[in-house]
Amino acid sequence: MALASNPATSGPASNSAAFPTLVFVQGNEQRTVSLDHTPFTVGRRVDRDLVIADPRVSRDHANIVSENGEFFVVDLGSKHSTFVNGQSVQRQKLERNDRIEFGARDTVYVVFDPHHASTNTAREFLSGISGIRISTETSDLEKLTLFLDAARRLNSIGVLDEILVSLLDTTLKLTKAERGYVFLKTEEGGLRLGAGRNSRGEPLLDDTTISHSILDDALKSNSEFLVKDTSEMLDLSGRKSVVAFDLRTVICIPLRKPQVQTGQRQAGAGDTGEVMGALYVDSRFASRDISAVSNDILRAIATEAASLIENARLVQAEEASRRYQQELAIAATIQQRLMAVTIPEVPFARLDGKNLPCKDIGGDFFDAVSTDEGLAVVLVDVSGKGVSAALLASTLQGMVYSQLSSGRGLVEIVTAANRFFTYKHIGEKYATLVIARVRRDGELEFVNCGHVPPVLVCNHQVIRPKHGNLPVGLISDATYESDRMQLHAGDRVILVTDGVTEAENQKGDFFEDYRLEEVAAKGGAMADVFAAVNNFRGTTPLNDDCTVVEMVYTG
Amino acid sequence: MSLKIEVKDVEGVAVLSCHGNVIFGDESAALRQKLRDVLGSKRKVVLDLSGVSYIDSGGLGMLVGAYSSARAAGSDIKLAGLGQRVRDLLQVTKLVTVFESFGNEAQAVAAFRSHA
Repeated sequence: MALASNPATSGPASNSAAFPTLVFVQGNEQRTVSLDHTPFTVGRRVDRDLVIADPRVSRDHANIVSENGEFFVVDLGSKHSTFVNGQSVQRQKLERNDRIEFGARDTVYVVFDPHHASTNTAREFLSGISGIRISTETSDLEKLTLFLDAARRLNSIGVLDEILVSLLDTTLKLTKAERGYVFLKTEEGGLRLGAGRNSRGEPLLDDTTISHSILDDALKSNSEFLVKDTSEMLDLSGRKSVVAFDLRTVICIPLRKPQVQTGQRQAGAGDTGEVMGALYVDSRFASRDISAVSNDILRAIATEAASLIENARLVQAEEASRRYQQELAIAATIQQRLMAVTIPEVPFARLDGKNLPCKDIGGDFFDAVSTDEGLAVVLVDVSGKGVSAALLASTLQGMVYSQLSSGRGLVEIVTAANRFFTYKHIGEKYATLVIARVRRDGELEFVNCGHVPPVLVCNHQVIRPKHGNLPVGLISDATYESDRMQLHAGDRVILVTDGVTEAENQKGDFFEDYRLEEVAAKGGAMADVFAAVNNFRGTTPLNDDCTVVEMVYTG
Repeated sequence: MSLKIEVKDVEGVAVLSCHGNVIFGDESAALRQKLRDVLGSKRKVVLDLSGVSYIDSGGLGMLVGAYSSARAAGSDIKLAGLGQRVRDLLQVTKLVTVFESFGNEAQAVAAFRSHA
């Protein structure tokens, strides 16, 4: 089911939304398309609003048009004709739940603006609230205030469309105007139609018959609203719509971003909040005169509508950010699961490891793999922190794990990883790592790529091998070498990340290598290393992840 | 920000003297930008790190990145005046084999001259 899964094509799915919807059904797939403009074009050609890739559908098959709040499907002389509820039509008014077919019958069809089971829309909710709280003596203005207060408290998702419609209905009721539109400013600075309604509560999609010149005047002016009674306007040249569509009164209210800091709102001059859009209502000569609407009401609408839209937008932004946080939390969980290590049990060696994360998702990880070649352990510290480090860590872990599992040589593995990361140009991110593999007979092979040198405790002697290579991911043509030595029963290998040697105490001293070697020389195990670090740093927080891995060869 | 960078010209060689820590974030971003600016007009750059006590993994990544781009463009960056901690870091990461480094700024500038 692809129903409403694509935000670009899914529309508001309710009766009270700004625009009617079309539910497009093709085989097992359904999607909802918002009928947010007309003419809405249907056909096989790829530039149609609704493209149906079926040979029985003509290239330009049909249009859906709107007139006076009503919708019509118009066949454009298609070869296999257009059907509404099974009847072939040339031009047909659409009613809710009408089934429209374009040439390809039965397999592909569209349902016009179906009713949805859910009635829990913002508008109905708001009407409910205002219905309960408003007594019959309440003035229109008080009603509006109550209504909008309720709307502001509503923290529902995707409410912007419904709020715009509620706003229009309320404004039309209060001003007794015929038509109303809300325009919202786009990122490019233009205005787009957010919603349009007539006084009968029907959606209006076409804003070509409004007076754009008055709309522009209102946006340029500094006032809270603009009322134009065209019967008193002397110069009507340049006001094409006023003349052509017989507009009598136009009220236009710029919606300015509420200014939080200023405390007191000054009406008129000095009110220079950023324009978020405009509320436009008008009526024709044939209709009633709306120029006498009280200024108080218009001022209240101007103030409340702006904060209403701003709040609805904040709710949307919060929702988007909440989803983003959720995604990050999921990513962190996946990361932790990937990094979870199952330590293999082998008869000749014992392995233990622990990671102490400081904060965020870090770039430290260790992993262990047992194969015929022996027991291998890898400890990695990816540069940086956070999501980017975690991403690199996961990729590297996958590479190293799979290559260790297939028994490849250690030098081969780090060379391949380095080639991969430098080839992919991942920027300044890289990793230091150690891979150590001990065979059943005690032969230890290890490769150190820019990492803190391993601590080898052989016969109670601490050895720090000088061997080392460049980190992985920095230099594309780096060459790598490994080192080998023979372990005896009881010998140990301790691997740490630099979070351990660079743990700081209150004085700003580092734990340093020599303290690590002291713990190791005393026969300290992994837990002793952590205890020593904690003892050293006292209450000073860690500023990097600390990871310690200990491998004991038992013979 | 815990890094100050001074730029001067010594006989056609750009010398960047750093004081503070070269760490991931604003510091390494500032040094990256300064290096980029300088490499726009000069091919020979000495990075005097005698005033730098600490370079973290992010700072090191930035240095290597800047060095690689400089070399690819036919320019060169030499290091000078490395303190013990920075020297240890370059040693552990084996980047001593990548960077040319000198005891002080004058020696690094002189090395450019002798190659010229």
